[in-house]
Amino acid sequence: MYYPEPISKLIDNFTKLPGIGPKTATRLAFYVLDMEEESVLEFAKALVNAKRQLTYCSICGHITDKDPCIICSDQRRDQTVLCVVQESKDLIAMEKMREYTGLYHVLQGSISPMEGIGPEDINIPSLLKRLQDDTVQEVILATNPNIEGEATAMYISKLLKPSGIKTTRLAHGLPVGGDLEYADEVTLLKAMEGRREF
Amino acid sequence: MHLVNLKLQNFRNYENCTLNFQNKINIFIGENAQGKTNILEAIYLLSMAKSHRTNNDKELIKWDSEFTKIEGRIEKNTGVVPLELQVSQKGKTTKVNHITQTQLSRFMGNMNVVMFAPEDLNLVKGSPQIRRKFLDMEIGQISQIYLHEMKQYHRVLQQKNAFLKKSFGIKTTEHSLIDVYNEQLVDLGSKIIQKRFEFLEKLKRSAYSIHKGISRNLEKLEINYQSSINVSESMDLTKIITLLEENFVKIKGKEIERGVTLIGPHRDDLVFFINGKEVQSYGSQGQQRTTALSLKLAEIELIHNETGEYPILLLDDVLSELDDHRQSHLLNTIEGKVQTFITTTNVDGIDHETINNATRYNINSGKLLI
Repeated sequence: MYYPEPISKLIDNFTKLPGIGPKTATRLAFYVLDMEEESVLEFAKALVNAKRQLTYCSICGHITDKDPCIICSDQRRDQTVLCVVQESKDLIAMEKMREYTGLYHVLQGSISPMEGIGPEDINIPSLLKRLQDDTVQEVILATNPNIEGEATAMYISKLLKPSGIKTTRLAHGLPVGGDLEYADEVTLLKAMEGRREF
Repeated sequence: MHLVNLKLQNFRNYENCTLNFQNKINIFIGENAQGKTNILEAIYLLSMAKSHRTNNDKELIKWDSEFTKIEGRIEKNTGVVPLELQVSQKGKTTKVNHITQTQLSRFMGNMNVVMFAPEDLNLVKGSPQIRRKFLDMEIGQISQIYLHEMKQYHRVLQQKNAFLKKSFGIKTTEHSLIDVYNEQLVDLGSKIIQKRFEFLEKLKRSAYSIHKGISRNLEKLEINYQSSINVSESMDLTKIITLLEENFVKIKGKEIERGVTLIGPHRDDLVFFINGKEVQSYGSQGQQRTTALSLKLAEIELIHNETGEYPILLLDDVLSELDDHRQSHLLNTIEGKVQTFITTTNVDGIDHETINNATRYNINSGKLLI
């Protein structure tokens, strides 16, 4: 043991965070020692509060400090469109666009049997419940464009088919503002497959 | 395509070795375990950035050394390209034109080689997996999209199999998840099968006539794509899709029962016939070897058609295993066109112009005796 216990404990705890190895953890821990006590307390409080005060919205599954969340309780939003995303981070990305005025549903993951995640383990049952009354007329499936996200979107669209609710999927292909010559073969192929008539 | 020189540093049993190749045909002669194949391995590494013999790069480093370096200059229609590959305890670094490459895929393919070694007999004799790997490697060299589709296909397969494995837990309401995976498998699988068909058609065209030549018109080679779903090579994409879809529906119950995906391109195989008889089960050792040889020579033609240049041929200890006629047919095919590197224990028995005019290198314990 090279370090006194309090600091080695702090280092240990920093290494639990993603992307932080023993070196960075050590640097952060020593930095904390040099910080003013007040800021350290504030930091600690922020950590605890984030954990204690935030819950998941009982309607859409987004992280929130009050239930239902501000988006779900905002009556000015279009109640007939529902955008399904995998994570809260995806919802925030959509909100930054400032163009979408409908509601959301956060799945908290995607179907991946390899990791033991089945359809029941993410917020699909709550989504189905939410669609039982006839308010929502369109469901936008905005899951990630990889195998798991695609499978999740296809699965949901299969479940919704009998209900007759319109389901749509985000387009994929060329990034806006990019040059065609720098696009990789696979992206180009996707753009080609998804081409549309003028 | 022509390898002008090769410089080895701390590679296997070579401490320092520089070789210049003026000639098309180069023969390395030496007793067993002197380091003949190591030279071919080094050339192969410059092409594929990995060894044909081992997956552990560190084995390439000479005993007691920190790193190994292979350098080569390759002359192409477009000019001379210096290639460099270095392996240390930390990993691999590659350079093209003295510029470090961040992606291995940018290094691979600057030089095309075709290797024919005794193990290649397994292409005919071995498990279906070896033949699928042959198909996938060859098509992958030409098509990035194929590699991507293959990767995605295997990912879906893993997901579906993982889902099927929790067998006792699958409720009927969850059956539609299997349908989702099947839909993804059909989409990717059909494209994979179609690309394999396109490749096979080109391969057959060259392999058939080469085999006819090698066997003095006595043997007729046939290659069949054997599929779990009865597709045939004349079918177009829509037909393949329909067949895959139908079969997935049919086999769904059985797949749930067995807990594994039973059909698709990951179960397909190639079957070789000579004069109507299956080579794998009924062919003689010689016929199996000739079939493998025909495939390899066809590969040379394919690469020539795709890139406009002949690849470099590496023949590891196979010349002595062919009979006189097959030897001379092989040598006639490569004569004057394909730069070839041959390893053998002796050349005494071979009397062919190509061999007589070749440059010979005598190898002894990691040293060149001239």
